[in-house]
Amino acid sequence: MGELRNATFDVLTKGRELAQKNNARLTAIIIGHNIGPLGEELAYYADEVLVYDDYKVKEFHSEYYRQVLLQIILDRKPEVILIPHTSYGLELAPSLAVELNAPIVTDVLEISFENGIFTAIREYFGGKLKAKIVLRESPHYIVTIRTGVSKSEKNESKGQITKIQNLYLVDMSYKRVIKLIKPPPETVNITSADIIVAVGRGIGDVKNLPLIEELSSVIGGVIACSRPVVDMKWLPKERLVGLSGKIVKPKLYLAIGISGQFYHVYGMMNSELIVAMNKDPNAPIFNVADYGIVGDLFEILPQLINKIKEFKGRLK
Amino acid sequence: MNIIVCVKSVPITTEAELVIDRTGKAVILEDTPFDINEWDEYALEEAVRLKEKFGGEITVVTVSPRDVKEVILKCLAKGADRAIKIVDRSIAEYDAYTIARILHTAIKNMRYDLILCGAQASDDGYALVGVMLASLLRIPYVTMVKGLELANGYVITVRELEEGFEEIVEVKLPALLTIQTGINEPRYASIMAMRRARQKEIISLDLKSMNLTESDLGNWIEIQEFLIPERKKKCIMLCGDANEVTTKVVEILKQRGFLK
Amino acid sequence: MRAEGLFGKEELEILKNLNFNLCLQCGKCAASCPMFLRTELNPRTLVRKTLYFTSQLTLYPPFSISEINNVWTCTTCNNCIIYCPRDVKPLNIILGLRAILLERGNVPSTIGEALENIYKFGNPFGISSLKRAEWARGLNIKKASRGSKIDLLYFVGCITSYDNRAQSIARSMVAILKNSEVDFSILGENENCCGNEVYYLGERGLFETIIEKNIERFQQYEVSKIVATCPHCFNVLKNKYKVGDIEILHHTQLLSDLIDKGMMNFSQRLNKKIAFHDPCYLGKHNNIFEEPRKILESIPGVTLLELEHSRRNSLCCGCGGGRMWYKDAGEISRPSEDRVKEAVDIGAEILAVACPLCLSELEDAVKKIGYESKLQVLDIAEVVHKSISAS
Repeated sequence: MGELRNATFDVLTKGRELAQKNNARLTAIIIGHNIGPLGEELAYYADEVLVYDDYKVKEFHSEYYRQVLLQIILDRKPEVILIPHTSYGLELAPSLAVELNAPIVTDVLEISFENGIFTAIREYFGGKLKAKIVLRESPHYIVTIRTGVSKSEKNESKGQITKIQNLYLVDMSYKRVIKLIKPPPETVNITSADIIVAVGRGIGDVKNLPLIEELSSVIGGVIACSRPVVDMKWLPKERLVGLSGKIVKPKLYLAIGISGQFYHVYGMMNSELIVAMNKDPNAPIFNVADYGIVGDLFEILPQLINKIKEFKGRLK
Repeated sequence: MNIIVCVKSVPITTEAELVIDRTGKAVILEDTPFDINEWDEYALEEAVRLKEKFGGEITVVTVSPRDVKEVILKCLAKGADRAIKIVDRSIAEYDAYTIARILHTAIKNMRYDLILCGAQASDDGYALVGVMLASLLRIPYVTMVKGLELANGYVITVRELEEGFEEIVEVKLPALLTIQTGINEPRYASIMAMRRARQKEIISLDLKSMNLTESDLGNWIEIQEFLIPERKKKCIMLCGDANEVTTKVVEILKQRGFLK
Repeated sequence: MRAEGLFGKEELEILKNLNFNLCLQCGKCAASCPMFLRTELNPRTLVRKTLYFTSQLTLYPPFSISEINNVWTCTTCNNCIIYCPRDVKPLNIILGLRAILLERGNVPSTIGEALENIYKFGNPFGISSLKRAEWARGLNIKKASRGSKIDLLYFVGCITSYDNRAQSIARSMVAILKNSEVDFSILGENENCCGNEVYYLGERGLFETIIEKNIERFQQYEVSKIVATCPHCFNVLKNKYKVGDIEILHHTQLLSDLIDKGMMNFSQRLNKKIAFHDPCYLGKHNNIFEEPRKILESIPGVTLLELEHSRRNSLCCGCGGGRMWYKDAGEISRPSEDRVKEAVDIGAEILAVACPLCLSELEDAVKKIGYESKLQVLDIAEVVHKSISAS
């Protein structure tokens, strides 16, 4: 059956905001197999839930999902179609847009529909800038919503649940989803750590990792990292924080040499205390940090390590 | 096997402070260095590895508002056999769908087994062009590919999902794949290799003579204005030299009880 | 590893004029190599393999490129050339193999990045060239501009310009030159990487581009003399560039000369025991040993100590030849740690260097071992600066 991810609720929240402002109806669509209970849950977040339950779509498959959505869209004619900005979302949304000839904007933070003009706000240049985007007038607008940024609230009343039936799905044998692979068992679980020392590309070279190891050891934390460090194979994937890795909420998150692009920030922004160090004063990490240091980590870290050692030494 | 790799030339903004121009609709990039989009670099490397294993040819295609000579030479130096470029200043205004339509026009009559694109671009991160191009060409596609194997007219891919999950998806060739970073280690392109690359075929297509209609080139979306993000949280910047800063950090950690 | 297999014609050309057939396989190169036994690097084996390979004897199997991939571990210290009894010059064979691998795209990614940065930004860090002279802010230094004619050019170098710790070398040098009333200029934002590491990494195409650019600059400003605080810059400018009449000096030569001419005022006593670490590019590559010692001995209060391995026998710090950007080659221990221990063993309080790479590497070693309270690592310029300044 599967389960509903946080991404779903993020999108529904944005959808409800937009619907309320425009006196519009919010409809949720769920596609899968044996998903009755999930439809029930979703009904607390929308005015109506359309449930398409079919063995053929028991897993996500872009071609089948697109066919289902197209038929529903042509029937119901929604003006705005919201999809989570996830791996599945991006496998589906662009081709849907081409088929519908509908404007599409992705990884969106805010949406608004005022005076007949649809606008969206999203980041550019890895988060260094934001931009307001205007979509060309169209019967349909497609938006993929950045997930992990909103809190969702349940409605008091339950919406209507409608079963979609009698859809004709053309066989798509040219694309097959063969299987899902769960992440391998780990040797370290960074999600349960109270203190995380995270390192990014700024560390420069795997040979500089001992510095981070020392800091982590002296402060009693666990080492994590951002994507480039894993791409370069300096640290294993189980230490990756972010969209394609883990989501962590430690008491203390030290971000060292991490630029702070969203796919990383997504994984750590709910940490209780975030202290960031980067030599670029414009690094987007400073948009989520509580304390920021602009400087050379190779100068700062050794002194920080010594001072912490000293302090702890005095305690004994 | 014939492989097409779509690449984008993007500004290198890691160290730069970005300045919005007077109109508010664009960023001043005149003095910013450009390079091949990181995701496309991984895509190209994957193509070269496939060529080394199975033989064939690689064509690199790029659409850009500005000169892309350096990026093309780098691609050719790394192993692409020829390049097709469409350079026109008007392209700076175009959105993903328009770019996809231009690529479609350039590619539709070519022979290919596989098209590789980067999963997204580092400057705007839309992640649209690849799938749109596949849709226009009516070929199957897979996104966020982090591993692939060819077998009997099919390609078996490993796709990246969130939270460490992956899935295996198989598509029939010809197909388009969008490639995720980390799939391989891109090779180095030496300056001498780039010089020799000038000998390879570089075809320049004139946008105006590509018979694209006004509606083909009409954008779906436009940038209304750029904004400087305000810090949602007030980030307190600790200033001073390394000694002062580290003393402050230790104070903060002490106060919050992290140094027991 | 990609690109396995036999060397092609062009690659054999690169190795053509090298002397590996003189090799007796005596092993002195390996014995003197600072990375031998710490890592897989073995100059003797490399020479033998290259010999078999280029003679294409059918008795031996063609080896794969992965066998020679350890060439990136070499620090280019020059020991193998110095100790070879027959003029084989194993280092040049290593450079040839590096060039071959590099042209095939087989370079460790961090080195590749540094090279790309040098190509795009004129420095290995990838920092904008506009920030190259930030260290000089507020120091009122003459910068080359259109129409300038420079008598003495202070060539700062990439590491000294951008590395926070090494910038102090430049500031000390400037203070000394001003104190001795020596007229000089810097290129500032127009300074470009000297290309020494580029040369020794085998990036011949990039090196040609660099030489062309830099010589054009020197000619544009009609430079007569160049002084460098980095022996890597000094080495390549002196030995690999064709600079015509321009005199190339390392700062230890210039400072030693100032002392000879009585132009150096050592006003402060410096009661310290100082050992001098001969940088490979100053000593082993260019046979300059006495000038740095003369400078240190001239400073009142200084006791000059000789490290156990000194002059031609000096221990390489391990940072040259691209090792600055190369990921851990799996060393059991780093050569710099041995050097630091040597200094402490003879009771030195200051380990004086004359190279920003040695400075960075040896300081790191001091921190790693935990000898901060025992040993200070300083460039000779910084030591001299201490002695000429009022405070």
